[in-house]
Amino acid sequence: MDKNELRTQKLLIGIFSILLTVVLVIVAGVEAKKSTETKPVIEVTGVNKRCVSCHTEKGIAVKAIDQWKESQHAIKNIGCIDCHKAEKGDFDAFYCPDSDILVGRHPTPKDCAECHQQQVEEFAQSKHAHQFWIIKNDDRSIFEPTITTRHGCEQCHNISIVWPDKSVGECDACHPKHTFSRAVARQPETCGECHIGPDHPHIEIYLESKHGNIFRAKEKQMNLNYASKDLKKIPIEVPTCATCHMDGNETQPSTHNVSARLAWESQAAWSYRTVWLQDKLGDWTIKRARMEAICKSCHAPEFVETYFLTADLVNLQYNELRRVFVYWVKKLNKNGLIKELEANGKKYSDVVLNGWDEEPEHLMYHAWHHEGRRFRHGAIMMGADYTQWHGIWELQNDLVELIRWAAEHGDPEAKQWVNSRHPSKFMPYPIYDIPGNAWGINPLANKVPFLYVNYDDYWDRVYQNVKYAYEKGLLSEKQWQLWLKRYNNKEHYLGTKYNADSVYNYYLQLNAIDTKAMNEQVVNMQLPGKPFYQPRPGVIAGPSEKVIKQQLGRKEEKYSPESGTK
Amino acid sequence: MNEKNLIDFRKIKQAILDEPIPMHMKNWFYALGVTPFILFIFQVLTGILLTIYYVPSPELAYKSVKYITEEVRLGFWIRGLHRWGSNLMVVAVFLHMVRVFFTRAYRRPRELNWIIGVLMFFITLGLCFTGYSLIYDQLSYWATTVGTNMIKEIPIFGSLFLHLLRGGEIVSVNTLTRFFNLHVIFLPTSLLMLIALHIILVRVHGVSQLEGIEDDEVYKFYPEHVYHGAIIALFLLTVMSALTVVLPPGIGEPADPNVTPLHIKPEWYFFAIYFVLKYVPLKLGITLMLIFLIIMTFWPFIDELLRKKFPQVKWHYILGSIVILLFLIFTVYETVSY
Repeated sequence: MDKNELRTQKLLIGIFSILLTVVLVIVAGVEAKKSTETKPVIEVTGVNKRCVSCHTEKGIAVKAIDQWKESQHAIKNIGCIDCHKAEKGDFDAFYCPDSDILVGRHPTPKDCAECHQQQVEEFAQSKHAHQFWIIKNDDRSIFEPTITTRHGCEQCHNISIVWPDKSVGECDACHPKHTFSRAVARQPETCGECHIGPDHPHIEIYLESKHGNIFRAKEKQMNLNYASKDLKKIPIEVPTCATCHMDGNETQPSTHNVSARLAWESQAAWSYRTVWLQDKLGDWTIKRARMEAICKSCHAPEFVETYFLTADLVNLQYNELRRVFVYWVKKLNKNGLIKELEANGKKYSDVVLNGWDEEPEHLMYHAWHHEGRRFRHGAIMMGADYTQWHGIWELQNDLVELIRWAAEHGDPEAKQWVNSRHPSKFMPYPIYDIPGNAWGINPLANKVPFLYVNYDDYWDRVYQNVKYAYEKGLLSEKQWQLWLKRYNNKEHYLGTKYNADSVYNYYLQLNAIDTKAMNEQVVNMQLPGKPFYQPRPGVIAGPSEKVIKQQLGRKEEKYSPESGTK
Repeated sequence: MNEKNLIDFRKIKQAILDEPIPMHMKNWFYALGVTPFILFIFQVLTGILLTIYYVPSPELAYKSVKYITEEVRLGFWIRGLHRWGSNLMVVAVFLHMVRVFFTRAYRRPRELNWIIGVLMFFITLGLCFTGYSLIYDQLSYWATTVGTNMIKEIPIFGSLFLHLLRGGEIVSVNTLTRFFNLHVIFLPTSLLMLIALHIILVRVHGVSQLEGIEDDEVYKFYPEHVYHGAIIALFLLTVMSALTVVLPPGIGEPADPNVTPLHIKPEWYFFAIYFVLKYVPLKLGITLMLIFLIIMTFWPFIDELLRKKFPQVKWHYILGSIVILLFLIFTVYETVSY
């Protein structure tokens, strides 16, 4: 081997060694990087390529393309035309400008159903699909201008838009176009786009509940993008709205029918057990069992059942309040104190539902549509503040105001109520109750309330009411047995058989110290400077004469005609 | 026989440490044979550490790899070393083969050692392939699926091999346990034995001289050549650690046999084969591959025949360069195309 040959050999080995090392390490590096990337590879093919390039070029809805690229559709090669395809004569068909591509402007549930048939069918059988009804009825249309209804009521109630192709619904109300993200659909704020505000503050109730609180604390660690598979464990540790109302777990299939697990019609003026599609979905007990099965993924069965039983009694209690409201407005109407709106012989309001121009009608409406719902929905979804202050407290206020209005307008019965000094005057209706609550035994909680203490037959009356509700089918056999279990051992559940007086006395002492401090610090304090307004007849409180004179003097100096000319 | 003669340490020392090494081996390009061996040792050590947490079951494989990568202290480093070690081992084997091929070090009497080397190369790729499949994320699951699909195309025994490897129709729990066994027991043990045989044969034949140029001088295996190895080991550890930090091992979505990703591809060392199989009819592709493997395995004899027939043509330069260039082009094409 000559020297040249050796040089060639060395050169070849050197070049190829370096080339292989450099190129292959870079290739390995690129591949390693790809394996850490979570962004999937998107391929745009066929007609979609034309859509994307033309839209990008013309700058029309370019963001929609980016959003689509994030979607599962893009990963699975489902492109623009798969959803936007149209046939001649379709209500939304049009030719894309400068092209021969016929597209549908509004993909409807009919289009979605080509792949997601089950979901679309489930949705169509849910109360979400029934929301157009409210637009049709439009009870506010006489109270507010139509243009506000367009962007007010309709924006949310469009979730059940009835399309010219006769399909019902708006899938992207929850799955935003064009990502159609599961994670966004599961985000509580998605439901909260509509389920918010004074009439049904569901997002507020959720966020004030323990569920919402834990969700907020942990949401960054949770991936809401999971596929909810039938008979699989719920993969997140705290529920969002969708978890309870839609997701599947070990025992429940997932569903797009949000009504499949609801036992009440508690948005209505009266709380009544749902009969929504019960031939398909089963009666309310079956729907409740579905919901309980989800709750029991995390909670003990007895906790869940007691919690719901208590919330059910809140719903029933609401009806008794409403009965009193209805009694009063009907009476006032009968006596000619309030009147329905009328034109051309047709009535445009209803005193028990939606009157607008008289105080009792407003109170009546709010007691159902706002505080009445808050009271009930707060109870069923762990929003204590909504059951209490935004709920029953305002309901009771409405009732007091209504009766007071009647008294002011001469109703003798109302006057009698106003003049009554008996503490039970605020309970002009029968009541429901349950011994204790779902969370524990509290020996101190049940010693003070007026009714417990002053009516020996308190629990007898409650027993009769609960039993009657059970016999009417408003409570299930299982619930009645659970209630009886507590009733028969109420000293335990109420905590009255336990003595925690020593603890009570300790805090009583602390209370006394607090009260004393409050009295000493502020209650008995009187400031030396006099107030400016003194409501004594004939005396006008104001600046002292001396001060007035001084002020007048200065003004005269300032504005005297001479001062300016001298 | 006295005790002194029972074990003659001096002779053993001489046999192991005083092996004469030709002077040309001081050039780094000629000293890369030890690199795959060093990497193999690293792989064994990091592999043992990984098995402490790894669970070879479809439910837990992905989770345990994720746990190793994200939770275990220094887990990402160990996994990174193992991953980069496997990548570099393939590169190191290539480099060693380039040197051996272009220097025609496979020539008589070392034909058998070349064949053993080729076998070790396949086992290395087998280790990489089985190791990648153990991650059990979408990429790895479907790479395993397409990888094993290729086996089916092997004439006559294809279906049998496929069934034997997968333990069923699809990649499943049986495949995972079989691959785990192959990856941690069968293949490493085989490789270790072949490495031993390879080194013994090197020692028996002596380190090969450059063709036509006998080095006048030699130096002893210890200390200089041993230190060469030590430097390479430290260098590799540094490089692998750096690569792990810059490009840490990732993990994708968990494997889902029901969802086929849009693009499935094997690990990069199979890109060239994948490229060929993609662009020529499958049967033809498999046949080409088999022909290539046969030529590669028996190259020392083929080369000898060719040299006799065409003494002027440097077949090994021509073929070697073409194969390397094609390999690089196909690999890079597949890398940049997705």
